[in-house]
Amino acid sequence: MPGKWDWLKDELRASGLAGATPLVIRFISGRLRGPDDLVKCALCPNMCRHACPVGIVDGRETTSPAGKTRAALLLRQGRLQPTLENVSPLYTCLSCNACSVWCPFGFSVADLVRPVKEKAAGGGSIFKEFREVFENLEKHGYVYGEPKREDSGLHGDLLYLRGCTLREKQPGVAEKAEHVLEELGYRPFTIDEACCGIPAYNLGNTRLFKRVAEKQAEKINSSGAGIIVASCPSCVYAYRVLYPKHGVKINAEVNHIAEFLEDRLKGFKGEGRVVIHNPCKLAFALGKPKALYNTLSSVEGLTVREPRRSGGETFCCGYGGSAVPRLNPQLARRIALERGVELTEEAETIVTACPTCKLALESNGFKVLDVMELLHSFTSG
Amino acid sequence: MTSTGPAFKPGYALPSEVLEKLRNLLGERFSTGDADLLSYSHDYWPISLQWVLKGSFPWVPSAVAWPENTFEVQEIVKTAYGNSIPVYAFGGGSGVLGGTVPEKGGIVVDLKRMRSIRLNEEDMVVEAEAGVNGYYLEKYLNSKGYTLGHIPQSIYVSTLGGWIATKATGQFSTKYGGIEDMVLGLEAVLPWGSAVTLPPHPRTSTGPDLRRLFIGSEGVLGIVTRAWLKTCILPEERVLLSYVSETFEEALESVRRILKRGAKPAVVRVYDEAETKRHFYMFEEAYGRIMTVIVVEGDSGIAGAERRIVEEEFRGRMLGEEPVKHWLETRFMVKEASEFAPLGVVFDTIEVSVGWSRAMSLYRSLVEAVRAVKGTLFASAHASHFYPQGVCFYFTFAGVPRGNPEKYYNDVWEAAMKTTLENGGSISHHHGVGRQRRSWLKNELGPAFNLLKKVKTALDDKGVMNPGNMGL
Repeated sequence: MPGKWDWLKDELRASGLAGATPLVIRFISGRLRGPDDLVKCALCPNMCRHACPVGIVDGRETTSPAGKTRAALLLRQGRLQPTLENVSPLYTCLSCNACSVWCPFGFSVADLVRPVKEKAAGGGSIFKEFREVFENLEKHGYVYGEPKREDSGLHGDLLYLRGCTLREKQPGVAEKAEHVLEELGYRPFTIDEACCGIPAYNLGNTRLFKRVAEKQAEKINSSGAGIIVASCPSCVYAYRVLYPKHGVKINAEVNHIAEFLEDRLKGFKGEGRVVIHNPCKLAFALGKPKALYNTLSSVEGLTVREPRRSGGETFCCGYGGSAVPRLNPQLARRIALERGVELTEEAETIVTACPTCKLALESNGFKVLDVMELLHSFTSG
Repeated sequence: MTSTGPAFKPGYALPSEVLEKLRNLLGERFSTGDADLLSYSHDYWPISLQWVLKGSFPWVPSAVAWPENTFEVQEIVKTAYGNSIPVYAFGGGSGVLGGTVPEKGGIVVDLKRMRSIRLNEEDMVVEAEAGVNGYYLEKYLNSKGYTLGHIPQSIYVSTLGGWIATKATGQFSTKYGGIEDMVLGLEAVLPWGSAVTLPPHPRTSTGPDLRRLFIGSEGVLGIVTRAWLKTCILPEERVLLSYVSETFEEALESVRRILKRGAKPAVVRVYDEAETKRHFYMFEEAYGRIMTVIVVEGDSGIAGAERRIVEEEFRGRMLGEEPVKHWLETRFMVKEASEFAPLGVVFDTIEVSVGWSRAMSLYRSLVEAVRAVKGTLFASAHASHFYPQGVCFYFTFAGVPRGNPEKYYNDVWEAAMKTTLENGGSISHHHGVGRQRRSWLKNELGPAFNLLKKVKTALDDKGVMNPGNMGL
């Protein structure tokens, strides 16, 4: 079979230019290093704009996916000063990675702009809205300040990790999740868990992320767990993808609860009609766009609807990535409202599998259940 | 670069009363911040991408506004008009001819916050605001069982307003037509700030068609804020066909026969030898020959009849569905500028249209003319849109200029535009005119260019709407 660049070699030969274009020959033979990824993204016409909740709802070029990398490039070139105002477009990102699905290079804009954010933060460009998070993580290893002391559960066969938001804001969900897991024959246990560190990572403080990650890994590993099930997909992303990247090891197998249950609900009976909001971290970062749908579809008697933007085209709730709800709560709210309206065209009850998504949609007036709350309602408990 | 617009100083500060008025009106949806100004100092014109690379922008706006409704657009335009400040409507920024770059400074009006959609299923008409994203609109319609049938390569990026402003067309145009065939009605804000609504009707005979005044007007006559468009039922059946021919001429002739019989395949694309090698190198049977991909779709009865006509008329070797699937999967892979521009390779495309009688002559002459420009690495084409009367050729060229890249770029365009006109073609099929093509517009229009100028002056006596664009 002819090669990808044979056509060009043929053209150059035919025009007698084969020897006169060493740069092109080096490029097509793979011997010339092309531009770096930030430049490539900055020169794209924004072929992922339609998938980016910020790009669609905010409507500003500056915060569009390629708009962010162009701003980052200008900052890197020194053409823009690293003031908070100029750096803010880089933080107007939900870190949902929807861009990477549509990018011909597979880039994640959040990853591309991270070094520029970190450099600016290192130079002192840190938003006051982030300081509280950093202080809480430094001091308590927990996003919401000092956590309530908890006794670790009894040892069982499955470590259930709740994540900061579920633990702090939705403790009832955790109880129901444990009950459902017990109904399915498991013996879940919890620990006095800390934050996975991902808020620090999202907010441009990778060094703090690593410190928090190391402490959390120590707590998890010392529990002796062989299997972990977590309710928060961002935590799972941290444990499964970010920790290894930063040299931090979790010994156990880590699962998000929706993927864990995907083939474990045989014979489970339910009723009613729900619409699912697929969390972006589960769909894109963890590559499981159908996990929640498959899980709920296996419940006999339950009607599961998907919205217009679903599966691999899901739309972030607006509260992802840690930065947007802190710096631009109005934008976060607008995205959540848009998503909620779209979802409720299909059913009144929204089911999701992420504490942040539940918080985002619920706080904007929608009826939202975590997948474990819904399953719990079908159990005898 | 030439400009005939009034001499506004680029990047100047707006008068304080204008700033105050627009800040009061729009709050945070009005900006004079550096990052925002630079974001709107370019579009996808290859020359302006060089500015992005260098971080140096010759034309910078004075402010950017994000209105959320027609009233706010009116207020912005009224204020600008009253103070003789240029105004540039901005959609997705995917234009490749510099049609939105703020050449004379002033206010960029980004319409992307205006994106409501309302579908009237009984009339099969969708009403949408101009800033709605193309894919968002199409996906919305698909979820209700409809399609617009307008699928340009920029659909992920571009907006309805941009489609209308540039008189765009899409990959499925042979069946569904260009945007001008879809727009039944529109609303536009005029240069002095009044709004005019041309309501949708199946057809009207009420004097000259004023909708057409705005379709393709590229922001020089006003700002389109809303439109009513025809919709079609999602196709019941889709048939994928491909053929290999020995010559470009033979393949084009086959398509001409198909259209002459009245069949309307949604997609027909015929690639010359170089582009067949480039895009379909994995199909060995086609390498060094001519690839044609065809999509027939619609009601199964109609699609079946059209398929029969295609199969009866196309003289070539059938290659089955795979090449078409390959095209469907890769058609939105836009990466050449990202890969080549930073290496100093000038890469661009030029689309022109021509009647059947001179099609091959134009194709051969234009490829030859571009190859003759010193520094050109290659020039090739595919025929991308078809009509019973003629065809659109979509040329691609690349070069490594020894001297000034902009000079090489303009030399290629000069050669291409001159050759198109000499061969009886139109200098633009669907990208529009912008700033790159403006010097040749008067050559194509002849005395009619003065008519266009008179229309512009009559509507925009102060020359505030996108000054300099299209040479107006």
